[in-house]
Amino acid sequence: MTRRGSLTDARFALIACALCFSPAIAAAEMVAVVAAKSGVTTLSRNQVMDVFLGKAIRFPDGTIAIPIDQAEGSAERNAFYSEFGGKSPAQIKAHWSKVIFTGRGRPPREVLNGVEVKKFIARNPGAIGYIDSTLVDGDVRVISER
Amino acid sequence: MRHLPTKALLGLVCSLGAIATVRAQDPKPKLFSFGAFATAGVVHSTERQATFTSNPFKPNGAGFPNAWSASTDTVLGAQLTARVTRKLSAVVQLVSEQNHDGGYRPRVEWANVAFLLTPDLTIRAGRIVLPAFLMSESGKVGYSYPWVRPPADVYLMVPISKSDGLDVTYRLNRREWTTTLQATVGRSDVRLIGDGGSAKARDFWGLAAISEHGALTTRLSYRRADIFIASLNSLFDGFRQFGAEGQAIADRYDVNHKTFSTVIAGASYDPGRFFVTSEWGRVAARSVQGRKNAWYVSGGYRIGPVTPYMIYAQARADNLSDPGLTLSSLPASVAGAAAGLNAALNSVLSIKPVQNTVSLGGRWDFSTKAALKVQMDHSDLGAGSSGLFSNLQPSYRTGGSVNLLTATLSVVF
Repeated sequence: MTRRGSLTDARFALIACALCFSPAIAAAEMVAVVAAKSGVTTLSRNQVMDVFLGKAIRFPDGTIAIPIDQAEGSAERNAFYSEFGGKSPAQIKAHWSKVIFTGRGRPPREVLNGVEVKKFIARNPGAIGYIDSTLVDGDVRVISER
Repeated sequence: MRHLPTKALLGLVCSLGAIATVRAQDPKPKLFSFGAFATAGVVHSTERQATFTSNPFKPNGAGFPNAWSASTDTVLGAQLTARVTRKLSAVVQLVSEQNHDGGYRPRVEWANVAFLLTPDLTIRAGRIVLPAFLMSESGKVGYSYPWVRPPADVYLMVPISKSDGLDVTYRLNRREWTTTLQATVGRSDVRLIGDGGSAKARDFWGLAAISEHGALTTRLSYRRADIFIASLNSLFDGFRQFGAEGQAIADRYDVNHKTFSTVIAGASYDPGRFFVTSEWGRVAARSVQGRKNAWYVSGGYRIGPVTPYMIYAQARADNLSDPGLTLSSLPASVAGAAAGLNAALNSVLSIKPVQNTVSLGGRWDFSTKAALKVQMDHSDLGAGSSGLFSNLQPSYRTGGSVNLLTATLSVVF
């Protein structure tokens, strides 16, 4: 009896371990990126959040910023808002419901995934997005890290 | 000056219409977007000789005649936004909630056109949401704030939520601060419950400054308006028939043509894990409305999808009663009428919240589109105050304490 009990315990411990580590493995580090030829070199996490929450519409150099989101509910999007702004998906939703229903703006356009974010940035010089750090290549410049 | 906002509004709508026709041929026509929000709520009041409603323009609520009410916090809203061009947009929001007549016929909460003169400067014309407090712009969107309703002790000092006129917003980004400056001019009419007619605000203007830095938001605003409430005319006309003393009382308390001013300051800090919000406001009019001030502080801590929170609020008002006409100096034949006027004046004066409220509650975000909230409020009322209650019954006594229990379900689409 005792032996079977400890086996079950061990199995639980394994599952618990897998549960706490798997999100970290699935969603690695998110970085904020702009086009490699953009004039923007570095932003603080606050500045990045301000652009994505619609509080700031310009980069510090005065050019208009076009934020681009990943799909709602995606691990990348949730990780980005959590790592950069400390905000849960529900808090982001509450923020936009406040802005939208006072007629003061609307959320960023969204694309499916990180690859699409890079394509969008290539087409739109003022665009700013976030991607998994493993997707960074010569076409984009990392301007803010966690 | 009195007609300026209306004329300016007409002119602007016409010119925006002209611009819209031209720009409609832009290569990238924008789509309409639609949104909706709703709250279903029930509230229970331990005060059975008066009615609690979430604003003074609703006749039915909790306490009297029924302890429970679903008509206080329940609201449904729908919004259509049209982005005509990158610079021009129009928005209409319809809201259905309990009206002054107890019905739920939808009202146009706002309908306006917005034009971006530059990316940082926006002008709006039409029916516009009135920003008073931090949350009052989205006060009907329960999902957007943590509580079952914004702290009533403070927010009900300025219960009007919309204005017909113009508003100009300028946004300034300096270092990591975003500052928004806003100027509003307009007018507002609100239907009062029962046969009360309407309350009108004229020559209304206001200024607000909102600063945001990371998790911190601060807000400072000033507004003023001339108020007209016809339903109180007969009371003051009555006093004016009682010589110099009656004339003085009427002049002191008459509402019409008196300036109503509002100063509000607030700050909120919300880094994600927790939030702390506090606001203070003062309203003043040289009328039966007198001076009121109120503040609250609220904090909450997010544990996964659950956010327990508390609120402490305090409301103060001066001049809750007046001796009125000196009955002993009047002939017996009119003393009865004078006593009636005195009683009517004092009942109007007592309808001001003087109270301290402690609230405990919790919000559960069980999905990213819906939140369930439960809140308990305990208010201690000052002597002579009927707090936030209306529909006072003959056996109602001012002062004392009352508990409210509220549960709401809020969704956004």
